[in-house]
Amino acid sequence: MPAPYEVPQPPTASGQLLPVRRLARPVQGRYLAGVCAGLAEHLGLKVRHVRLAFVLACFAGGAGIAAYLFLWALTPQSLGTPPVARADAVAIGRPTNEPVRNLVVGLGFLFVGGALVAQQRGVNLRLGVLIPVLTVVGGAVLAWSQLDDAERSRWLVGDMGPAGRRAGLLRLGIGVALATIGVVVLVTQGRGFSGLWEVGIPAVAVLAGVALVAAPWGVRLWADLRAEQARRIRETERADIAAHLHDSVLQTLALIQRQAGDSAAVVRLARAQERELRGWLYAGPLGSQASLASAVTEVAHEVEDLHGIPIELVVTGDRPLDVGGAALVRALREALLNAVRHGAAPVSAYVEVGSESVEAFVRDHGPGFDLDAVPQDRFGVRESILGRMSRHGGAATLRRLEQGTEVSITLPVTAPGAHPQIHPDEQNDTEALTDTHARTDTEVQADTEGRR
Amino acid sequence: MSEPRSPQPAPIRLVLVDDHRMFRSGVKAELDESMLIVGEAADVDSAIAVVAQTRPDVVLLDVHLPGGNGNGGSDVISGSGGVTTESGVPVRFLALSVSDSAEDVIAVIRAGARGYVTKTINGPDLTSAIRRVADGDAVFSPRLAGFVLDAFGAAAGEVAVIDEELDRLSTREREVMRLIARGYQYKEVAKELFISIKTVETHVSSVLRKLQLSSRHELTAWAVGRHLL
Repeated sequence: MPAPYEVPQPPTASGQLLPVRRLARPVQGRYLAGVCAGLAEHLGLKVRHVRLAFVLACFAGGAGIAAYLFLWALTPQSLGTPPVARADAVAIGRPTNEPVRNLVVGLGFLFVGGALVAQQRGVNLRLGVLIPVLTVVGGAVLAWSQLDDAERSRWLVGDMGPAGRRAGLLRLGIGVALATIGVVVLVTQGRGFSGLWEVGIPAVAVLAGVALVAAPWGVRLWADLRAEQARRIRETERADIAAHLHDSVLQTLALIQRQAGDSAAVVRLARAQERELRGWLYAGPLGSQASLASAVTEVAHEVEDLHGIPIELVVTGDRPLDVGGAALVRALREALLNAVRHGAAPVSAYVEVGSESVEAFVRDHGPGFDLDAVPQDRFGVRESILGRMSRHGGAATLRRLEQGTEVSITLPVTAPGAHPQIHPDEQNDTEALTDTHARTDTEVQADTEGRR
Repeated sequence: MSEPRSPQPAPIRLVLVDDHRMFRSGVKAELDESMLIVGEAADVDSAIAVVAQTRPDVVLLDVHLPGGNGNGGSDVISGSGGVTTESGVPVRFLALSVSDSAEDVIAVIRAGARGYVTKTINGPDLTSAIRRVADGDAVFSPRLAGFVLDAFGAAAGEVAVIDEELDRLSTREREVMRLIARGYQYKEVAKELFISIKTVETHVSSVLRKLQLSSRHELTAWAVGRHLL
């Protein structure tokens, strides 16, 4: 009794510890610091939408920028998808001083908010002084937070050679420049434009000079950051591949060595491993679960695993899996089971998804069998294949070739929306066939007779 | 799998090119005495040298090889251009791959290989495939046939109006490809369509030519995008 076919479920990470979902900035797929990408992943939104929201928020008094900086400062960088059993590697860096930092930044924001409210209430906060001071502080913080933790620690430790140390000096220069701007603005308070000219122009000139000198180092800093990112991505991928090979290929090889005497088991193991590896190497990250082609592939693999006989499966075209398609998949499964049980290798299956109909062929090289010779009480071929297809508006024929048997299944493609009648027993119809579909027997038999 | 054709008096001279020694010895053990292995090579450069020196009938060529310009088997084919056997027939290449990825297969076919089989092929089938390639015919695995049907839009019902059209298959070619995808051998295809084996071979060769010459450049990208191979 074959088990009822089930619509494939997305693979679950059973037995594998799921990492706690925490906000982290991914290394891959980021524009600036990965804040939007991390946020989108965390909330399950589209990255594009999150980015758009941030950009829009920037026009709301710069709230977007503030929020971005805030999240940047507080979100640890992630190592990308953690390899199996490496859940602890989700977040790196800043493990200890995080609460302190949160507190400081939070207080800062509280202070700014309070100041704004007070100003609105009419209290004179001497914004002329406050704003330059905040510029100085903010500039310095900004300059420092440009760098990720790893980078910063490398600089502080000083293991980067002369170039790295010069970049550190550049950092210092930027800080000083920002402080200068703040000081200039502070000093010119109350002296009007003349004072501004007197102090401002030299200051600008000096700053421009510094910028000119520092530009090459800035470029170098940027390139360095890029290289660091690329290196980290490569390391992540390498760890990923190593983990995968360990969990799949090495395990299988060990199994094969232990079962070297049992050639059928070895073939099955090798085949399953080949398929798994192939899927991992060539398939995209997202397997479209609900497509006819993937359902057919899954069924073929399942039958292969059950009986250890390889099935040469070719699928052309694809379409979403609907009721009729699911019926075709079940019928195909039955045909494949018949082929591996009663036929002989090689077993070939070809499924062609055309614009007007889906055609499937299962072919084996066994001695072949006669439908009339099959006892009436055997439902395998007659009901599960022939009957099922005719119920869904399709047709199935059984043909005896010179060598082997071929089952052909056709199903007209219905336009989306025009669903064929859904049979309530389709969920587990291998059991519930007898009562409702007695009529199909004679019909199908006549059909097969005609085509033979 | 036996051919109703006059048996070859002379053995087919064969060169094995594969960077896995284990696989080469496995192939040697599987081939019968009608094949004579005259040379072996493990990378692109030595393969080109061996082919030029031994001038074999058929080169059994792995798609993935070290050396050359990094294109593996395709480099060997382009590097051996113009090499002929003693009797003046061009050296033929049968691609053999463990990878089913479309880029690899199509690249090596477009470089000039006469056919493609997977490494899981059994001994008798491999022997007949080599013989077929030696005779100048094309060898299509079911998978390659399925890919061709998909790439040329034949599965969706696109059919060439005139046979010479390079971007589409003719009705007959489509039927032949469909039967090969269904696991039929050439003689079974011939029987099914009431044509001679020679005609089947002509159709397959013509499809191979279209695959090599077609400017349907979305061919590979399209198939790769859908993980067809």
